[in-house]
Amino acid sequence: MAQIELRNVQKFFGAVQVIKDMNLTIEDGEFVVMLGQSGCGKTTTLRAIAGLETVTSGEILIDGKEVQNEKAADRDIAFVFQSFSLYPHMTVYENIAFPLRAVGMSNSERDKAVKEVAEILRIPNLLKRRPSALSGGDMQRVAIGRALVRRPKALLMDEPIGALDAKLREEMRAEIKRLHISRGSTSVYVTHDQIEAMSLADRIVIMHDGVLQQIGAPEEVYLKPANLFVAQFVGSPVMNVADVSVSGNGGDVSVVVGKADAGFAFPQSTLGNAKAGHELSLGIRPEAVLLSHDKSDGAIEVKSTNIEPLGSHDIVDVQIGSEVLRARTESGFVSGEGQTVWVNLDPTQAHFFDRASGLSLRGHE
Amino acid sequence: MAAVRTPREIFLNRVAIAAVMVVLLIMLVPIYWIGSTAFKPRNLATTIPPTVFFQPEVSPFVKLMTKRSQLRKPVEQEVYDAAPWWEKMVLDGGEKVVRTGKGKIRPSGYGQRFTNSLIVSIISTFLAVSMGTLTAYGFSRFKVKGEDDWLFFILSTRMLPPVVVAIPMYLMYRVVGLNDSHLGLIILYTAFNLSFSVWIMKGFIDEIPREYEEAALVDGYTRIQAFFKIVLPEAMTGIAATAVFCFITAWNEYAFALIMTNRRAQTAPPYIPSQVGSGLPDWTVIAAGTFLFLLPVAIFTFLLRNHLLRGMSFGAIRK
Repeated sequence: MAQIELRNVQKFFGAVQVIKDMNLTIEDGEFVVMLGQSGCGKTTTLRAIAGLETVTSGEILIDGKEVQNEKAADRDIAFVFQSFSLYPHMTVYENIAFPLRAVGMSNSERDKAVKEVAEILRIPNLLKRRPSALSGGDMQRVAIGRALVRRPKALLMDEPIGALDAKLREEMRAEIKRLHISRGSTSVYVTHDQIEAMSLADRIVIMHDGVLQQIGAPEEVYLKPANLFVAQFVGSPVMNVADVSVSGNGGDVSVVVGKADAGFAFPQSTLGNAKAGHELSLGIRPEAVLLSHDKSDGAIEVKSTNIEPLGSHDIVDVQIGSEVLRARTESGFVSGEGQTVWVNLDPTQAHFFDRASGLSLRGHE
Repeated sequence: MAAVRTPREIFLNRVAIAAVMVVLLIMLVPIYWIGSTAFKPRNLATTIPPTVFFQPEVSPFVKLMTKRSQLRKPVEQEVYDAAPWWEKMVLDGGEKVVRTGKGKIRPSGYGQRFTNSLIVSIISTFLAVSMGTLTAYGFSRFKVKGEDDWLFFILSTRMLPPVVVAIPMYLMYRVVGLNDSHLGLIILYTAFNLSFSVWIMKGFIDEIPREYEEAALVDGYTRIQAFFKIVLPEAMTGIAATAVFCFITAWNEYAFALIMTNRRAQTAPPYIPSQVGSGLPDWTVIAAGTFLFLLPVAIFTFLLRNHLLRGMSFGAIRK
């Protein structure tokens, strides 16, 4: 097991920069998920760690040793591909044994190691099959088995369950988590699915356009997004983002959403140093948009414009000035479109972002 | 797979099978013709209408393998009786087997020509396919400066009809002493097949996902090990198809063999027709030579048939 460190890593493909000045330390035994849209550089970063991609500049350290110029074979790192990449001309057994052949392990030891891994992954009955005769989930189990069998320093996974159907994905997610807990291997996992990231990660690394946006525990990136991109990328349904203007001084300020007639009262502390008249964006998750049928203090009267019933809860759109906010309510709370309801915002769950830079006003604690 | 078929579909299927059988029969007629002529007595080879039913005999093969001369008069009875069974066939045909002063039988050139064909074709096929596969792998996996131009250049070597360069090649070969040598023909056929092999193999290797090799690379193998352990087995279908095509081209090549070789390194194709003009044209001998000549390609193709079934579609049905 090992610690992995990236220092000022840059990567260009021709004139396109796909990794911009990346600094990241992954601790021994940690499960780190790199999250981002396709093309954000997360896979390239992972491949650079594995040695499948060279970096243009910067250092990659594994256990304190610079490896950026070493071959993939010498880094002792395992990689699980989205396409599974099982060797089609070999049986499952041979696939799992393949990495052990490279290190010249004796036959009996190799056999023991393969059977042990097969046992852990619950695939001992599949060892004689060819990959083409396996289901998607089993293929991925074999791919993970092949990665784990030689006890690598770290396990890198590139969207390992992205090609599976929804139910299987959930199953494999649990399995990967179980494996990580039982083996404690340093793992780096790439995905664009924030639910996978939230459920698996010790820490999430969010990337956008080759730039690292935020690193933090799942709750941290969810509750304290560092900027607008993270705010909107993490969480489902997506966080509401609305243009607001701030007025008033002293204790409470009035936050006007979408040039509406009235504003919401917020304590100045939530706004950091933003002054009155400052143009900001408000980010607020649907669960912090509170709807009520009765008039209450500070609430604004609005009309519902759309309702999405989702079974356990409803998502209700309400029009405030020129903006639409989505609220999460218990199911059936608002019976139809065009109903009048009273909306209030929970100040403790509100995030303010500088509209120009996109950065959170809370700053980084 | 087990979809229920309507009577109409079954009927159309049978029609298709019947049509294929007819085409197959037509295609097989020349093969049958050569095969049957190779086992006919000489006097039946040129009858009109053709003889279909006859007592097969191996005399054409005996004649093919031996040097013979015309008998002026029938041999004496004791000589005939003392002759082994196969020599009687030659004597029956009005010829005798030529022997050296010490009584050893002098073989015809066919055996040696056939061996030459095997040597030249197998080695040149091996070289063309192995070099072609490596080159294709390079083009497929790495950024090569001017890749398209190189590939076009490689392809362009096939655009000139080979006969056009035969004379200059002959002059050059004579200067460097490669004429009438196995090496000369091997180089020529390898060069000729290489462009084909590069292009076909590139198509196949392009279809092998890079992830297979990358998986091998992180699993602790070097690139060359990954090539041999992963890419080659995966490309086997393509290699088999390419090898068959290269082998057939080299095996059947006539023009260069005729010009570049005359004795030592001559291959079978220019030799077989040369027998038409020596003495009486004996078509059974020609047919026997051709029949044997057909066998290696047929055997080679048959051995690789499983690969070829997938390979002939040039990777189109790979999933």
